[in-house]
Amino acid sequence: MAIITKEKSPDRPAPLSETTPLGWLRINLFSSTFNTGLTLIMLFIVYLTISGVFAWGYLDATFVADKRRECYDNSLTGACWAGVIAWLDNIFYGRYPRDELWRVNLGGVLLVLWMAPLWMSRVKAKVLVGASVIIFYPFLAGYIFTGGDKSWFMQFMVSGAILAFIINMLNMLSGLIENTSFAKFLFKLSGQVEASDKTQRNLLYGVLFAAFIVIFAIQSSWTVTEVSWTKWGGLFLTLVISGIGIASSLPLGIVLALGRRSKLPVVRVLSTGFIEIFRSVPLITVLFMATTMFPLFMPEGFFLNKLVQGIISVVLFNACYMAEIVRAGLQAIPKGQFEGSHTIGLGYWGTMGLVIMPQALKHMIPNIVGNIIGLLKDTTLVSIIGLFDILGMLRSISKDIPWLGLHKEPLVFGAILFFIICFSMSKYSRHLESKLSAGNKR
Amino acid sequence: MSEEINTSQLVSAATSEQMIEINKMNKWYGDFHVLKDINLTVHKGERFVICGPSGSGKSTLIRCINALEEHQEGDIIVDGIKLGKNLKNLDHIRTEVGMVFQNFNLFPHLTILENLTLGPIWVRKMAKADAVETAMMYLERVKISEQANKYPGQLSGGQQQRVAIARSLCMSPKIMLFDEPTSALDPEMIKEVLDVMVELADTGMTMIVVTHEMGFAKTIADEVIFMDAGDIVERNKPEAFFGNPEHERTQQFLNQIL
Ligand SMILES: Nc1ncnc2c1ncn2[C@@H]1O[C@H](COP(=O)(O)OP(=O)(O)O)[C@@H](O)[C@H]1O
Ligand SMILES: [Mg+2]
Repeated sequence: MAIITKEKSPDRPAPLSETTPLGWLRINLFSSTFNTGLTLIMLFIVYLTISGVFAWGYLDATFVADKRRECYDNSLTGACWAGVIAWLDNIFYGRYPRDELWRVNLGGVLLVLWMAPLWMSRVKAKVLVGASVIIFYPFLAGYIFTGGDKSWFMQFMVSGAILAFIINMLNMLSGLIENTSFAKFLFKLSGQVEASDKTQRNLLYGVLFAAFIVIFAIQSSWTVTEVSWTKWGGLFLTLVISGIGIASSLPLGIVLALGRRSKLPVVRVLSTGFIEIFRSVPLITVLFMATTMFPLFMPEGFFLNKLVQGIISVVLFNACYMAEIVRAGLQAIPKGQFEGSHTIGLGYWGTMGLVIMPQALKHMIPNIVGNIIGLLKDTTLVSIIGLFDILGMLRSISKDIPWLGLHKEPLVFGAILFFIICFSMSKYSRHLESKLSAGNKR
Repeated sequence: MSEEINTSQLVSAATSEQMIEINKMNKWYGDFHVLKDINLTVHKGERFVICGPSGSGKSTLIRCINALEEHQEGDIIVDGIKLGKNLKNLDHIRTEVGMVFQNFNLFPHLTILENLTLGPIWVRKMAKADAVETAMMYLERVKISEQANKYPGQLSGGQQQRVAIARSLCMSPKIMLFDEPTSALDPEMIKEVLDVMVELADTGMTMIVVTHEMGFAKTIADEVIFMDAGDIVERNKPEAFFGNPEHERTQQFLNQIL
């Protein structure tokens, strides 16, 4: 055989296993008699499981019935989904008054609309959008869900939230239609595009101020009836607790992580102690402590309801985990980045906020999302301190007289719900990762 | 070239303003005595080249000038301000002193243009449009303006180092420090970076450069400093330094690198 090829070697097609599924199957599943046997046995086991589940959950299942007895009359081996269906409202909303359910839905729709611009590439000022959600949405949603009389502070924040929401929507529209930010669009409308920065800023502030006054006047006469937190429950309550948990545990975790790396000994020791204590006890203990021990330390007459106690526990507990994730992320940033940033004169906060955190957060996304998923599932523990979150609701179906003893179906339904939520979150995090790394090639 | 050196010496003689003054400065890393009784004065417009074997404390010295490292004894006075624990002073000095590192230390998550405008916008509080204009001017000067919207990772080493130089210049520093700016580069890229630095020297910038590029040192340096084991062993005009070094250690070192 000649060692040197005189002519250009022709391109040959890739081996079958690389290009066709059939080739892949042959190489990986049917390469020998033994492997073929294994594959067939496995397929058979998979078939048995799936067909069993399918028969139980669909073929033999009862979807319409008034009580468990009727399910049995229909089929002894099938699932009794009728119970779950009858309780759907409870599972989603707890005991929230049935006439007021629109408020919960409105809160959800507002959140989705508010966050929608974050997913649209044409819309500008995403950081502002994100910040406005975290700062203002809780007040608006809080009022919509609880209702009652508004204090001055609440009036102020609710007006701010409505204004922020409206501007956000206008910004989204001007982004989608004109491909500019709302501010630029406003300058164009008023013919001030060429005007100095100061004129433009004054115009913007003027418009915002006028709009705020109008909104304030309108909202002051708007009230919704009060709904006590004891009526909150189901998936709604789970999402409220985990939503607050997610939104506040990351910022708090960042603060704790920075504290733990601080040069100031007091700050460092306090942060480290706090993190280590909360990380070394199970959430369940924290929850019990919050409800039984916490009131003992508090001054006479100071009273936190169980919901707030639960939320605080979940937030603090998860903030400590976030803090460790953030710390690991910070450690992955080379020292040169800090030095590069210092040499252009950025101080501690500038360096952290503009140079280090943006890079570190990108590395931390998988862990953060993992932690968020964990948080969502962990919040079901609040049913232990007597809050009727989704798990509490699912379990009370079996104590409802018509559906006495119906355990399996509600839990399976809950598992499916959680799977859908958690799986889409982890899918989204993968998408986010690849998007971010496409943007900042190293 | 000799003419240029003469004119710039005239400038430095006319305005013999002291930019950096180091008096009996000592630094330790734990028990390890890195810098020993360092004395050095740099006037406005002067250009020093520092060379010496690896581990002799060259990086540590210029990092002390920029307050990236703390010194334990003696004084360092930069632009009339004494370095110490005062954080406000530190930030001020860092805006007046630019620094270029061996491995660039560009910010990988920002485009070239954003790398350059970050300091002017957030530290100098410049309007964004002005900052962009300045940045483009400096990118032009380091001959890389067409890459403004790429990310650092998409550029070659030589290009990245030129961006790093431009990033420092955007802060209009009074002093520029260079820590082996070409030693992480492939040979064919070294020249493009040195050319930029020679041009910068021609503008009368006060510079301290740690480098082993002797041709470059001869071209721009007012004085060459040789360091060994934490001491400044020898300092001299380039011709004398390379022609007939006084110390045996310098001689040995030059034999190794030439
Ligand atoms: N952060 C540090 N901690 C301890 N020792 C250090 C540190 N940085 C540098 N050194 C030591 O100080 C000496 C001088 O380092 P450096 O200034 O980087 O030398 P050069 O730049 O001349 O090669 C070396 O022996 C090095 O090992
Ligand atoms: Mg060095």
